[in-house]
Amino acid sequence: MKKMLFVYGLLLFAFLIYVFQYMSEDNRQGDPAGMGLRGEISEKYVMITFQSGLEYWKSVLKGFEDAADAMNVSIEYRGATNYDIHEQITVLEQAIAKKPAGIALSAMNSHALTAVINRAVDEGIPVVLFDAGVPNSKAYSFLATNNYNAGATAAKQMSELIGGQGEVAVITLPGQQNHIERTKGFTETMKESYPDIEVVDTVDGKGRIEVSRRQTEKLLEKHPHLAGIFITEATGGVGVGEVVKARIEAGKSRVQIISFDTNKGTLDMIQDGTISASIAQGTWNMGYWSLLYLFHLHHELTTPAPSATDVVSPLPVLVDTGINVVNQQNVEQYYAK
Amino acid sequence: MRSKKKEMPSWKQLRFSQLPLRYQLSILFLLIGIVPALGLGVVVNFTVDRIVERQVEDNTLQLIGKVNQSLDKAIDNLQTITYLAEFDEDVQAFIHETGTVRDPRQLTENMSAFFQGFTTLYPEIAGIMVVSSGGAYLSNEMYAYSDADLTKEEWFKQAAEQKGIFTVIGHPGNRSVTTHVNYTPEEVISVARSFVDSETQDIKGVILIDLKLRSLSGIVRDITLGKNGYLMILDKEGDKIYAPENSVLRHFDAAWFDDNSSGTFNKQIGNENFQFQYQTSSYTGWRTIGVFDTGDSALAVREIHFYVVCYLFIVCMFGLMAAYVLSQSISRPIHHLMSLMRKAEKGDMTLRYLGDRGDEVGQLGTSFNRMLQEIKKLMTINRQKEKQKQEAELRSLTAHIKPHFLYNTLDTIHWMAHKQGADDVSVMIQSLSKLFRIGLSKGSHMIPLSQEIEHISSYLQIQKTRYRDRVECHIDIKDDLLDCYVVKLMLQPLVENAIYHGIKARRGAGTILIKVRKQEEVLIITVSDNGAGMDADRLRQLRKQLDDPLATIETHNEEQLPGRSYGLLNIQARIQLTFGPSYGITLDSTQGEGTTATILHPIVTKPQVMLDHVMEEEER
Repeated sequence: MKKMLFVYGLLLFAFLIYVFQYMSEDNRQGDPAGMGLRGEISEKYVMITFQSGLEYWKSVLKGFEDAADAMNVSIEYRGATNYDIHEQITVLEQAIAKKPAGIALSAMNSHALTAVINRAVDEGIPVVLFDAGVPNSKAYSFLATNNYNAGATAAKQMSELIGGQGEVAVITLPGQQNHIERTKGFTETMKESYPDIEVVDTVDGKGRIEVSRRQTEKLLEKHPHLAGIFITEATGGVGVGEVVKARIEAGKSRVQIISFDTNKGTLDMIQDGTISASIAQGTWNMGYWSLLYLFHLHHELTTPAPSATDVVSPLPVLVDTGINVVNQQNVEQYYAK
Repeated sequence: MRSKKKEMPSWKQLRFSQLPLRYQLSILFLLIGIVPALGLGVVVNFTVDRIVERQVEDNTLQLIGKVNQSLDKAIDNLQTITYLAEFDEDVQAFIHETGTVRDPRQLTENMSAFFQGFTTLYPEIAGIMVVSSGGAYLSNEMYAYSDADLTKEEWFKQAAEQKGIFTVIGHPGNRSVTTHVNYTPEEVISVARSFVDSETQDIKGVILIDLKLRSLSGIVRDITLGKNGYLMILDKEGDKIYAPENSVLRHFDAAWFDDNSSGTFNKQIGNENFQFQYQTSSYTGWRTIGVFDTGDSALAVREIHFYVVCYLFIVCMFGLMAAYVLSQSISRPIHHLMSLMRKAEKGDMTLRYLGDRGDEVGQLGTSFNRMLQEIKKLMTINRQKEKQKQEAELRSLTAHIKPHFLYNTLDTIHWMAHKQGADDVSVMIQSLSKLFRIGLSKGSHMIPLSQEIEHISSYLQIQKTRYRDRVECHIDIKDDLLDCYVVKLMLQPLVENAIYHGIKARRGAGTILIKVRKQEEVLIITVSDNGAGMDADRLRQLRKQLDDPLATIETHNEEQLPGRSYGLLNIQARIQLTFGPSYGITLDSTQGEGTTATILHPIVTKPQVMLDHVMEEEER
């Protein structure tokens, strides 16, 4: 009987060793070392913009894609094809219906989207906003350029360019929150810090070359001594540049232009001196960190704030993605390599 | 196995039949239980391996086929876009350089908006560019380095050579075109198509589309083959279009693939063997390759292996237990019986097999018990006979010595009495002398009936002298029976009993009748008296004693038995020892009327034969 028990013990021991070895091998496969934070390929994060073919978004999308590659998740890029708030609401609702792992949204109109965003959050889909925010929505974070500061920086640049005195004008998109803030930052800084500079006019450029061109021509007619123009977006900036370039070629007095963003046209004009400076936004950062925020929210790696207005949220409710001033000295670096 | 430990086992001891029974049984049961299970395990493993491997291969090929279809479709979409672009009026105007009739600024804006439309609908496109044969280009997001001549670029020439046929370029590599968003060549796939003038067949321009690789890798990336296998996409030259970060090979030699559109080959890379399964898309010329480490079996196989091994372990444990219990249940009772036999061998006859088994072992035990009992009984009988023989010899010896002296003395007394005229004394002495002589009869056990009668007559003569007229005796015998031999001195005790217990106990004179008859080769000798007789209890007791005279003599001493019983039992024993239990004495008695003793005795005419027979009997 003792011998029997001994053989039994031996057999059982061998069996346990085998099972243990099998299990440990299994675990080794299940958790490849050094993988770090990784999601599933089936997790889909959606990025929604408006005017989705716009070059401006490409950089944001690149950031979003790069983060998705790093996290091993899938993404989808959707957006209203036009500057149409109803279309964007529809697109957002379609995205919610698909129950994605998270939504990064750039809001066209700050009020119309609040209800839909809140619904998405209530359904458990994390939402972060980038570039253009919706105050008082339940979205967890807002990653964007601090547009007021950007406007203030533009004012400082403008003051340096025109020697601290003269008349300046602003061409903007008055219906859009980020443009309103840029304008506000610009005008208020002028009023507070540079009392000798007067913001004589603020007009609507509609974000299109032609409209901006026409508006510039009108402005120059109305204010012949205009020393500088601050245009709050890039597409119109090229239009403004074209008018100013024609004026310079005609031998008239130079108008300093401060533009926004860095598309090819703007960079070309900075290079040839038509546009004096531009404010470059951290667009790639917006996309990249939006996805990381969504990823963390989806995997509950952080506690979401009850609302975007709650400043004790572990994820910052407001994230400034930063700006750079692009001028003739550093413009080369902004061209793609 | 125990012997192994105790001493160096010789080869003979290790032979199967030399092992103890329980080891033999254990080994047999283990073989029966475990060998088939092991065999089953091996067969299952083998079959599963083969089937799963084949299935995995089939599945992989199917999967690769599907992936190729998806890739073809994605590329096909791009082809459609190149045609759509060609249909556009503004693009036509641009490449035919008829744009001068229109405002070039307007043309540029229109085309940008047009291309933007594509990227709106299809965000996987990183950029679209149309280059005219003159080197001018239009794009929404791409642009050339300022000093570059795009018509000298490799991709432009490639597309131009194909004369309007859609060309997949692959990773763009070195070119002077970039996108504003900074996609690296690794991140995009380029396709191009030249626009050919339908009349002159001249190349008017080339459209270049960059597709984000992630739209293709998304098809492939989440596919895992088996445990660690993965898919790769290679271009015609064997350079990678897509490969996962952990892939073992970046470049494949085109010679490794045979001409077939699909196939399988093995290669050793580093220390490990890899299996490659591929399928070539005829449309793009790309190969989709599944890469496996041949070292790891499929996940399912591993799991099945695990279960089979678990099963084998359990069977082993169960089999071991069953073999132990079974062999024990068979060998233990046999072992028990064996140890009993060993003890019995050493002389302990009181042992008994105690068990209620009904099987062969139980029956063996019962037989063993019976055998022990039998042996014991035989030994007792043997010892008894030995003792009786010794006693008889002793007795006859003493009887031999005394009589001679007695006869001579008696003879002297007879002659003296005759001389002195005391005739009655003389007769009596003579009778006594005759009595003794016959009683001695030279040591023989059997004497003729005539002598027996003479003996009893002498005895009666003496008794008559003593009891005068109280005893009267008649002897009734036919002369032809007088030559028969009978066991000697068998009548005297009967007559003595009749006198002492019958007639003496009766009032007045009594008669004793001795009658000898022949009935079917048997002598029937009756001694009857008309004495006191005996009661029924006494008669039953005597009869019972007569049934087994030896045992009665054995268990009681001579002194303990009443005189009449001892004589009776002695005759009975002598007759039955000589002739067997079918002969002997039967008693019959009625209280107050008398007793009859009947002897059944075979007719024996040749005393010598009978003597031998008796001697044989005694020797045995």
